[in-house]
Amino acid sequence: MSTSARRRLLRDFRRLQNDPPSGITGAPLDSNIMVWQAVIFGPDETAWEGGTFKLTLEFSEDYPNKAPSVRFLTKMFHPNIYNDGQICLDILQNQWSPIYDISAILTSIQSLLCDPNPSSPANSEASRLFSENRREYNRRVREIVEQSWVDES
Amino acid sequence: MPTTKRDRGSPVPTSSTKPTSDSSSSTKKPLKVKVKSFHGIARWSWGTPADDVCGICQSPFEGCAPGVKFPGDDCPVVWGACKHAYHLACISQWLAGGKNSCPICRADWNFADDS
Repeated sequence: MSTSARRRLLRDFRRLQNDPPSGITGAPLDSNIMVWQAVIFGPDETAWEGGTFKLTLEFSEDYPNKAPSVRFLTKMFHPNIYNDGQICLDILQNQWSPIYDISAILTSIQSLLCDPNPSSPANSEASRLFSENRREYNRRVREIVEQSWVDES
Repeated sequence: MPTTKRDRGSPVPTSSTKPTSDSSSSTKKPLKVKVKSFHGIARWSWGTPADDVCGICQSPFEGCAPGVKFPGDDCPVVWGACKHAYHLACISQWLAGGKNSCPICRADWNFADDS
């Protein structure tokens, strides 16, 4: 069994604790350092403000040479997030680099919230509303924000 | 990692001349000091900035990449043509995954001539 992934994840954890990016928390499961739970807070002064969005990250023994699989547990409404919570984000796919750590991954996802990429839609309705009816889009986002407070996931 | 603030060129502490000697009496007598013994301390590095870490494993360059037992010759640091450095063990694993790019700048990976 390779331990290099675990060693790296411990370093990631230490860095996340010592230098936490604002609006992001995360920690491995007590029983398994290869599986993490994280929460991203919706950035202030955006439609996402106040939301608490839970995610799960699963790492393989190939980390950091392979990206983890990351999924939202909280229900989302976003052009680049599928209904099952999977995220369409280049750095988690073909643009992955082994210099990324958990802080970098979560920070990228946080910035994706307010800055969707319309050219790779994962949720066609969110995509359409984002480009055609921003008012309705924002209303739907705020619904998701309110749901995030009561979600039992 | 130990940090030595001492000047590298002077392993023997330069005993300061008595501060009582005023600028008026500039009689510069050479100090009669006999070095009986000294304790040399050396520090090696790969030439990477002090305390810098390998971007892939996040361990110090002077330390060990995962899976390597001893630092130093067993765990060399290599540079790409793009001037980015990694533990040889770390960049090799990344390249073995089928990507031929520098993890930092994404330029095509070529080992620098002298590494």
